[in-house]
Amino acid sequence: MTTESDKPDPAPSEAAAGEAAPPHPATSVPAIPQPAEASATPTADVPQPAAPAPETAQLEPPAPHFFNGRSNRKRSATLSLATAGLEIVEDGMLVDVWPYASIRRADGPREVLRLRSVTALPLARVEVFDPALQAAVAARCPALDLGEEKQTWRIVGWSLAAVTSIVLLGVYVVPIVADRLVPFIPQSFERRLGEAVDKQAEAIFGGKRCTAAEGQAAFVSLVDKLKQAGGVDVPLSAAVLASHTPNAFALPGGKIFLLDGLIQKADSPDEIAGVLAHELGHVKHRDHLRQLIQTGGTSFLFGLLFGDVSGAGAVIFASRTLLNASYSREAEQNADDFAVDVMHKLGRSPKPMGDLLLRVTGAQANKSYTILASHPMTEARREAMIKADRPATGAALLSDAQWRSLKTMCGGVAAVPARPAAPARPAPPARSGQGGEEGAGRDPGLSPRGDSDSGADNGG
Amino acid sequence: MNEILAPPIVPARAAPVPVCFFNERRRFRRMVGRGALLEFVTVGFYRFWLANDMRRHLWSHTAVGGDTLEYTGTARELLIGFLFAVAILAPIYFIYFLLGLEAERYKAFASAPMGLFFYLFAQFAVYRARRYRLTRTVWRGVRFWMTGSGWNYAWRVGLWAIVLIFTLGLTLPWRQAVLERFKMRHTSYGNVHGRFVGSGTDLFKRGWGLWAIMMGLIALPIVLGVSGHGILAGVTAFAPFIAAPFVYPMYKAIEWRWWVDGIQFGEVRFESGMRRADLIGLYWKVIGWLLVIFSAMSTWFGGVVGIAVAVNGFRHTTAQDMAVMMQSATVLAPFAVGYVMAILALWAVTRIYLIHDVWQKVAQSTTVYNLGTAEDVVAEGKLVTALGEGFADSLDVVGF
Repeated sequence: MTTESDKPDPAPSEAAAGEAAPPHPATSVPAIPQPAEASATPTADVPQPAAPAPETAQLEPPAPHFFNGRSNRKRSATLSLATAGLEIVEDGMLVDVWPYASIRRADGPREVLRLRSVTALPLARVEVFDPALQAAVAARCPALDLGEEKQTWRIVGWSLAAVTSIVLLGVYVVPIVADRLVPFIPQSFERRLGEAVDKQAEAIFGGKRCTAAEGQAAFVSLVDKLKQAGGVDVPLSAAVLASHTPNAFALPGGKIFLLDGLIQKADSPDEIAGVLAHELGHVKHRDHLRQLIQTGGTSFLFGLLFGDVSGAGAVIFASRTLLNASYSREAEQNADDFAVDVMHKLGRSPKPMGDLLLRVTGAQANKSYTILASHPMTEARREAMIKADRPATGAALLSDAQWRSLKTMCGGVAAVPARPAAPARPAPPARSGQGGEEGAGRDPGLSPRGDSDSGADNGG
Repeated sequence: MNEILAPPIVPARAAPVPVCFFNERRRFRRMVGRGALLEFVTVGFYRFWLANDMRRHLWSHTAVGGDTLEYTGTARELLIGFLFAVAILAPIYFIYFLLGLEAERYKAFASAPMGLFFYLFAQFAVYRARRYRLTRTVWRGVRFWMTGSGWNYAWRVGLWAIVLIFTLGLTLPWRQAVLERFKMRHTSYGNVHGRFVGSGTDLFKRGWGLWAIMMGLIALPIVLGVSGHGILAGVTAFAPFIAAPFVYPMYKAIEWRWWVDGIQFGEVRFESGMRRADLIGLYWKVIGWLLVIFSAMSTWFGGVVGIAVAVNGFRHTTAQDMAVMMQSATVLAPFAVGYVMAILALWAVTRIYLIHDVWQKVAQSTTVYNLGTAEDVVAEGKLVTALGEGFADSLDVVGF
């Protein structure tokens, strides 16, 4: 019985035994299933030589091997295709019967049919070398390849379902959860958050607080007025930092930092007041905490999706940035509304704030990065503030002297316009916007950025 | 019949036996290429199925004493392990965040050392992942298995990391020896226990020259620069980068050989004929592909930007306009696609050359001695879950 598909046993070839395998008493096992009992198989009553050598194997395939799952001893066995199942006979003794339906294919070399059975010990194996016998066994086992079917489309389908669900969760559910969670988190926790990022923020912005007494007094009085008008009852700590970056930011727990660069760009106390009111809005709305929860939630979701092993770290980062920017645009809008409201209550116009924003960022229209921007377009914001423009009915928020001391409290000797309300502008229009090029300078609207960054650091 | 008349099939007991690898590289390549595409389509989820298929392929094509290994793990196990790992890691991340908060309150950036915890945790995960893979490895109907505490392994790695830093890597051989000894003395095949007999000193003797060459090449431009030979320093500064793709594969070959030589299970021992230069070609092929992929990606990026500029009609494109345009979705989305494609292609290349081909070279250069003493090994050891590998996956340290 020499078929072309006969391949040598994968055994190493060094043990070329001199004698050929004994002739098979029943060599012909037809591929077409016969009356089961009749199909006797190659037997090996005679002890086998050492590992079958290629020469002998080419003539006759070796007898089936049986591993009983309890030891690794390689046993030469006889298989008989009985009605009840595959009978494994060792030394003329029936050692096991595997029902055909329980038999599965196990991984093995291409030319060997390696079998296991779900009813036998998990690692018990039968190895069949004779192609004819292989075919006969395979024909009788209906579940030979059960669980090995191509399930690619199922995997793809479920993966896409998971992706959709995760994206929807990120876009719709995470913001709602954050909104609902925030009221349950005590103010004291938020203060701790603030204290944690506070030192980082100060370090990043040069870390020097401006402490000139008069300037500080003017600053405190301005903040207090805004605080009262806005009904903010959180204890605040506000400070001016000596940094050239034109920006202001709030940290969780009522910490507000105004950078000297912004004061220098401002022409009137109302401009600064509007910006500070915007920051107060973030504090009052607890936007930092909300953003922290949102960032944590989306990081977790996207990490779940990509698992990080696909090397797609940058993609995770990009998608998270997009999502967070959309969350934060909404928060910025609310903070702007709050600022407009506060200025109205104080009998002042919010318009100067819009002017200041434009001066710092330069024109942004026709630039297509709205989906990425964490703040709404400066023009849009300014327009809203111009709409809310009203003639001043309240007293000036700072006296000339106070304004001057604020302007100079970080050692600046800038010319101070005499009339705070007048739109006279000693500085050239900030089209150049040196601060606008710096990352932080891009949001002179006082993003919760200090917070969101640190949130990402700590949470990521 | 009695036992004497029907002995197990025994090859000549003392004769050394080579490890065989049945090469079906084309099939492996197709599996990996298709897997990369499916990883793209499924946003990464297919990785569990691909990893499992690759292992099954390699195991079932490697034969010791005429019998191929069998990998019995499933992709579903990996997926479940990963999901459990993520569920367990979520509160750990949260606690990490709260502790970090307190540390930052105490001092700015004081939370940075806490990252060390995750470094150690990753080592723990690596150990547990090895344990998972080992318990799915079967030869002649008996599985391999492993005991030992992942944490005991992790702190050893941590301590040796400190030593390595202070000795500029010169102590690497002893570190490898300690870690391999730890792993192998907790590794068993049925009731036969493993051990590792390689010594750090031996690895040091074989590899210190490479270390000296690299250190010399790194130091050379510094020395030249300090002594005022600016141009020469600039030229020689490239030397380490050119030497690295030779030196590293040579080190890997030395290390593989040392590793194979050191492994023993009971009386069974292994010997490797791996030559020092055997892996260099593979690494250079990877570098070649890297260049091809990188140029394809650059071309793609350039094309996208070019089209964007043309379509948006930026007639006088300033630097700021460019910056703004680069952030628009119409440019970002194709960028992301190109980037992910490049990464996946790179993964496919490394899987073929650095996993399949290295595996093949290691297998084919290995000879087994005294295999006859492992003819009647009694099965022992329990399966473990894929949780460890799930941790490794979610911490991005998954090995093969």
